[in-house]
Amino acid sequence: MADEYRFIGKTIPRKDAAEIVTGSARFLNDIKMPGLLYGKVLRSPHPHALIRQIDKSKAANLKGVKGVLTWEDIPDWRGGTPRSTRVLDRKVRYVGDAVALVAAETEETAKEALRLIEVEYELLPAVLDMEEALKPGAPQLYDEFPGNVVKPGVPFFGPKSLKDVVMGDVEKGFQEADVITEGTFGYENIPNPLPPEPPGAIAQWEEPNKVTLWVSNQASYMDTVTLFHVTGRQVEVRSIGGPCGGSYGSKFMSWQVQSYATLLSRATGRPVKLIMTKEEHLANFTLRPSSRIKARVGMKRDGTVTAVAGTWMIDTGYYSMTTQSQVAVGAGEVQIMVRCPNWNLRNVIVCTNRNASGIVRGFGGQELKCCLIPLLSLAMEKAGVDPLEFLKKNYVKPGDGYFWRDGIWYEYRGVDYTKAMQSGAERFGWKEKWKGWLKPSSIDGVKRRGIGVGVHGNADIGEDSSEAYVRLHPDGTAMVFSCVTEHGTGQRTNFLKMVAEVLQLPVERVSITPSDSLVNPYEFGPAGSRGTYAIGSAVIAAAEDAKQKLFEILAPRLQADPKELDTSDGFVFVRSNPGKRLPWKAVGPDRTCTGFGRFSPDYTLSNCMMTFIEVEVDTETGKVTLVQVVNATDVGRIIDPPGLEGQLNGCLGSAGIDSAVFEETILDRRSGHIMNTNLIEYKWRTSLELPPIDNVVMETPIDSHRFNAVGVGEIATSPGPSAVLMAVSNAIGTWMHEYPVTPERVLKVLGKVKPRVRRGKGGEA
Amino acid sequence: MRSFSHISAATVDQACSLLRKYKGKAVLNAGGTDLLLTLKGEHLFEYPEAVIDIKTIDGLDSISENEDGLKIGALAKLSAITRSPLVRNGYGALAEAALTVATPQIRNAGTIGGNLCQDVRCWYYRYPRHIGGPMTCLRKGKGPCLAVAGDNRYHAIIGGKKCFAVCPSDTAVALAAMDGKIRIASASGERTIPVTGFFSPLGNGLKSGEMVISVEVPKIKGTAKQTFLKFTLRKPVDFAIVSVASVILQDKGVCVDGRIALGAVAPGPVRAEKAEETLKGKPITPELAAEAAEQALADAKPLSMNAYKVEIAKTLVKRAVLTGL
Repeated sequence: MADEYRFIGKTIPRKDAAEIVTGSARFLNDIKMPGLLYGKVLRSPHPHALIRQIDKSKAANLKGVKGVLTWEDIPDWRGGTPRSTRVLDRKVRYVGDAVALVAAETEETAKEALRLIEVEYELLPAVLDMEEALKPGAPQLYDEFPGNVVKPGVPFFGPKSLKDVVMGDVEKGFQEADVITEGTFGYENIPNPLPPEPPGAIAQWEEPNKVTLWVSNQASYMDTVTLFHVTGRQVEVRSIGGPCGGSYGSKFMSWQVQSYATLLSRATGRPVKLIMTKEEHLANFTLRPSSRIKARVGMKRDGTVTAVAGTWMIDTGYYSMTTQSQVAVGAGEVQIMVRCPNWNLRNVIVCTNRNASGIVRGFGGQELKCCLIPLLSLAMEKAGVDPLEFLKKNYVKPGDGYFWRDGIWYEYRGVDYTKAMQSGAERFGWKEKWKGWLKPSSIDGVKRRGIGVGVHGNADIGEDSSEAYVRLHPDGTAMVFSCVTEHGTGQRTNFLKMVAEVLQLPVERVSITPSDSLVNPYEFGPAGSRGTYAIGSAVIAAAEDAKQKLFEILAPRLQADPKELDTSDGFVFVRSNPGKRLPWKAVGPDRTCTGFGRFSPDYTLSNCMMTFIEVEVDTETGKVTLVQVVNATDVGRIIDPPGLEGQLNGCLGSAGIDSAVFEETILDRRSGHIMNTNLIEYKWRTSLELPPIDNVVMETPIDSHRFNAVGVGEIATSPGPSAVLMAVSNAIGTWMHEYPVTPERVLKVLGKVKPRVRRGKGGEA
Repeated sequence: MRSFSHISAATVDQACSLLRKYKGKAVLNAGGTDLLLTLKGEHLFEYPEAVIDIKTIDGLDSISENEDGLKIGALAKLSAITRSPLVRNGYGALAEAALTVATPQIRNAGTIGGNLCQDVRCWYYRYPRHIGGPMTCLRKGKGPCLAVAGDNRYHAIIGGKKCFAVCPSDTAVALAAMDGKIRIASASGERTIPVTGFFSPLGNGLKSGEMVISVEVPKIKGTAKQTFLKFTLRKPVDFAIVSVASVILQDKGVCVDGRIALGAVAPGPVRAEKAEETLKGKPITPELAAEAAEQALADAKPLSMNAYKVEIAKTLVKRAVLTGL
């Protein structure tokens, strides 16, 4: 099968590989330009306060300072959904909220100027827990959100935008159940996806109403769309994306840092670079939403789920830009994982006085499942159902359906993933290791091993729109016009492979434009796992369209019908008589040939990832170690073998499996400060601690585009966290329901820690 | 980073008189691996006027041994200690402790003097200025210790008082178990204090104008079993949640002399004297090790979120004793 393609499925060097490994790739912070100023942000020490007054005179007078802006100096630009959050406001809503902006000749001067800004605050009571925030009389973050409840729904998703999952008759469902379990379960450790490159922007303002932004974002075209709306549709925004040092979704939320740079450039007339420090990245940039369910599930002894009912609460922090979207997609994804005719799962998104949550890979579904699977596990235990069998049975099958983010029911027309799941189970040795619920798979002294499994899938592989041009040149080369940004996955090279395959042109003869919104058509960007199917479809269609136009031009000269023609290596030939051919340059030296391709959303396909986890628990120290990870998926067809492997091996970090092991953002719930704002205190896995990861990838052709492939990159992180809880619970023989599984939590669950609280006031004990 | 004067000292005398001259407003830079974080994070209310480079002082990085024991110059790099045959052969727990510090790059820059004198890791104390301003606490001169009522998962379980930050130094723990001493110089002379006496809740034992010039370790009997165990959340690049160093001399399975130090549980390394007494003269068995572990933590008074550290410390003591078997 693999041999029928020249490029698809073949390992070729990434176009940008040499630049990256030799350090010549120009990341955002490498960009310098004449007159460049450096921007810095003064941040609030209080979780909730009104700014009584700000005296910026000393800062403005510091030598080298070119601009200082406070909420009084800027237009009423707002972001969020709905647009509720000003770029700078009179009110601060979390520790680290922006209070003032400075642009100066050097970063050091800008930082020094921050020390000279005097702010007088009127402190307001803060609320840091979502249930507290919902109580009558709780501090209110916004007038627009009474009760701190964020307005549900996403206008972009249409009038029926999915909110709750409601269908069937849950009461009837519970009556049919053999077992019913209920409880409160959370995934509330708000990990930071932590791309290696911190967020930032460079802005160059042009009077009266234009800005050019150099951005680091996986979806640079969308920055023009977002900023345009933030400015009340007053500013024409051009975005130029470059290599992006990781995003994992988070940099979709760059409108604030981009607005800061834009406003400072507007105020100073000079280009302004503003890049967050690692501390800011950890304390002031996108966190995973905090998720908690209070729910009840009904199940039959054969693992059939008869009813799911309850409330899903999501803490979005001090504002929401995308949380409603994540809830909509998460509500869709849960139906892909659990076939159940009776649902009544309501949700509520709550604002609290902490740094904002938003887009992180897993996009709502990971958050919801990390709460729901532990609840389902209780039912599985009661019903005596093996979780592997449960997940296989209940995952979406052809002919099943789900309400997707637009509130519309879609019938799934993809493949049955059971085979991939079963292959993964065999590779992992599930059958040999599974000893039943709350039973270790092996014991060695004080060390116990346990296993767990999780699954995740997303119909976002066909979400949103993409457009591309492909231009053929008389010299036998082709250029792809696409605003897709390279954010580490190698997808820009993969689209060149697809075009090369369509045109039968060596990949070296295909190039791609910079991700400049001025040059390229609409591109939602490689969000979720949509790159392979959605962007791929647009690029393929553009190449096919260009090819068709080329054939139409050359058909008369070849005395053939365009339908009879084909092309290879820069020649057009008659398929039945390949000797009859013309080089592309036969179109004439003064002519190019451009095709256009567009992909419109299709929610009838979903990808799938199952992750098997084995852990070892030291029952004396509470330390949990990953022993083995197996990921199993079916991608239809592999486009880029090493790229795919890299994506699957990425399952640990970026708020993935390790969000169950040790990744967490630690919030002081008294003061609102985030305590672990450096890379020592924020635990993340280094290469010295990688467990063996084994990936089982099947290739059952999927009816997507001509290469029958779908993307899976995003979802590698999602099935793992709940599988870790399951594995630890089985290892120690007691339910473990909190993320991450710190030594403290393990020892507590084992009954080995009985806290003795030292009394006395701070410092006097 | 803000502006400061940078002065390279050629001698210990010069460094000490510069410290005096700046009246507490100067800091020493040996490896700089901890100092730079302080200078960049600007988390203290005071900012040094001068940074005195002591890397330029000759002869302060030697590692030598005589009949009394080991002597390591304050500027000896952690990586040199991990590689030194003298340390590895005679003082293995110290080499092991140095090897657990941070990363190879940091061990190549960081010194043993700096490792002993590094500032505490308390996240309230070190809260970065750029995210709303530094936090106020007793260690910085005003207000209570924020950890007591805050998130104290990594804080002291023994002997906090005023400040519950723990001593982050790994080498200090090994040195404490070895009865190590710290040699301190000032313009008026030199003095020597035990490692265990060097640390106090609000800072180390250096007076204004003083600097650490070396550490000294009495000779350890070759048959004594040395162990250094460090419990971290992440294997590399992490500070200890608890560490334990032990030097146990036994004769035919009977403990002749056992020395055990606990790290990251208190403002300084703590000798587990009750546990040491428990061991003395008794055959080492799992039961005895468990009893010693209980004794080692008998005085622990955990805060609201760190009782787990007591359990981990007990486990490490037990394991350290049993490896001496």
